[in-house]
Amino acid sequence: MSEVLQSLFVLGSTHHEAPLEVRERMALTPTDAAALQRELHALDDIRECLVVNTCNRLEVYGLANSPDVESTIRDQLCARNGVTRDLLDAHSFWHTNLDVLQHAFEVSSGLDSQMVGETDILGQMKNAYAEARSAKCTGIVLNRLFEKSFQAAKSARTQTGITRGEVSIGNVAVNLANRIFGHLRDSRVLLLGSGDVAEKTAQSLQSRGVADITVASRTYENAHTLAHSLGGAAIELSDFAAQLKRFDIVISSTAAPSLLLDRDMIATALKQRPDRPFFLIDVALPRDIDPTVDTLENVYLYNLDDLSAIANENLELRKAEIERARTILKGHAWNLWLQLRRRTMMASR
Amino acid sequence: MLEDIALTAREAIGIGSAIYLSAFLFGVLAIVLRKSYPRAAMFALLAGGFIFQTLGLNLRGAEIKGCPLGNLFEISQFIVWSLVLLYFIIGPAFRLRLLGLFTAGLAGLLAGITLLIPAWDHAYPPGIFGGNPWIELHAALAIFSYGIFAIVAVVSVMFLIQQHGLKKKQFKGVYQYLPSVQQLDLMAKRLLITGVLVLSAALIFGAIFWINHPDRVPVFKLSATCLVWVGYLTVVVLRIQKKLVTRRHAMASIGLFLFALASLWPVQSARDSVSIDEPSAPQVSE
Repeated sequence: MSEVLQSLFVLGSTHHEAPLEVRERMALTPTDAAALQRELHALDDIRECLVVNTCNRLEVYGLANSPDVESTIRDQLCARNGVTRDLLDAHSFWHTNLDVLQHAFEVSSGLDSQMVGETDILGQMKNAYAEARSAKCTGIVLNRLFEKSFQAAKSARTQTGITRGEVSIGNVAVNLANRIFGHLRDSRVLLLGSGDVAEKTAQSLQSRGVADITVASRTYENAHTLAHSLGGAAIELSDFAAQLKRFDIVISSTAAPSLLLDRDMIATALKQRPDRPFFLIDVALPRDIDPTVDTLENVYLYNLDDLSAIANENLELRKAEIERARTILKGHAWNLWLQLRRRTMMASR
Repeated sequence: MLEDIALTAREAIGIGSAIYLSAFLFGVLAIVLRKSYPRAAMFALLAGGFIFQTLGLNLRGAEIKGCPLGNLFEISQFIVWSLVLLYFIIGPAFRLRLLGLFTAGLAGLLAGITLLIPAWDHAYPPGIFGGNPWIELHAALAIFSYGIFAIVAVVSVMFLIQQHGLKKKQFKGVYQYLPSVQQLDLMAKRLLITGVLVLSAALIFGAIFWINHPDRVPVFKLSATCLVWVGYLTVVVLRIQKKLVTRRHAMASIGLFLFALASLWPVQSARDSVSIDEPSAPQVSE
């Protein structure tokens, strides 16, 4: 077990290492992420494995039989997402041992998030853990690590003010919409896809007066369900382009592998409403909206990185709280490390 | 009653201009220091400046026994006065944030510059409008329309700053206090239409006088004024047809206002030369 602990690892590529253009190339669909987890777990050198796959991070946690598995795992990941090894190496990190614990704790508590202190990541970590556990890819060490990371996240949040003053993407979007349209009661919103971030953003807009919300999704039932909960209408994804000119705010969060909205589509819609601005929010990864549309007159395009950068503008005010949270998490990580080593020693007697 | 006031017209106007400038600096300081925007204080300072400027123009009017629009200094001060008056009408009605700050900036700048150039405030014979109330109305309306175009330029500058912030993903500082681009664009459109209507009315009154006395209106003045009117009319038509919108509309409005301001000096010179050639003839206003 002592040797095993020396081979606890995490390979990751997050918003810290990779810009949006690289992250969208590395992104995996949920199916691909599950397949990668299975493939890695099936390797002889890997005893436990868990893949965390969100729009801002792709991380592989694992426990290996030997410390020399890094190259194998990198190759396996490249084979799955189709990126070159050079690209992955340039935009990824590799941690081992105690650093893995500290990293997992910081991720769960939102300290490592693009929008520091956000709480969605905890749910995403719990989902990833539940799926890996039900697929029997985790064992004693990773189970202990993730369960402790959830507890550590909770204590960091309750004992410090890292979430105080935290600005959500929805709030940022509302503020930007106010700077573009003034009041929002006449603004029409189109949701492309039924993603969680898009739904929350739409709810924020709705709370500030937006009354007209339309949802278009690849699965009409999903669109209909979300539209119903928002008091809006649902349309087929194939129909949205023809109706684009009707909308003022478009929030896109589909899992489409390529662009949904290109420059020509926006330019055509704009010609029919040249004096009304277009506010486009692209929270999808890979991106749904051609980034060059931002150069069009009267079009304001914001992607995940833009929104997060704005949300983090008040980070300076929370710096002391973040440091306090980090110290608390270090204590939790060290305790867990000692517990795991104690178990190892007990088992070896 | 005005005779009892121990201030000259220039002194009162000077105090008014100083208050406008201090209002602008106060607003800038509040934003730089990230204090909440002092809307009420800004309104009070602008009101103070406006009172002194109105007093100065009244004193000047009493001196010349007519509307004080006889030289570049007076014309510029009247444009500034119209600009601030429009702020008091538009500001509270439409609650355009920071309009007071930008109005104070332009008012302080224009009024300050004209005070610093004494040659612009040269003496002229009394009764320049020849006792013709229609010509006085023409002059007042024309200069008031320039005041409207001044506030259109202010709103357009605010639009360009807000749009720049949105395009460059800027969130802090002045951007968070500015009104939305759509509000500013709509306001600029409405004000521009109003300005063109007022200028058109002024030109109609002026045209009646010109038809009866063609020799008393310098050709250069007539051409420059018509050019300004045609320019603004073209922008309004293109805006209504949605062919000139948002950024280009704002830039056209600012450019035209600068041209209108720049045309005042040669127009005034042309008028002065007519009055020198015909010293006995009553002068024609803007």
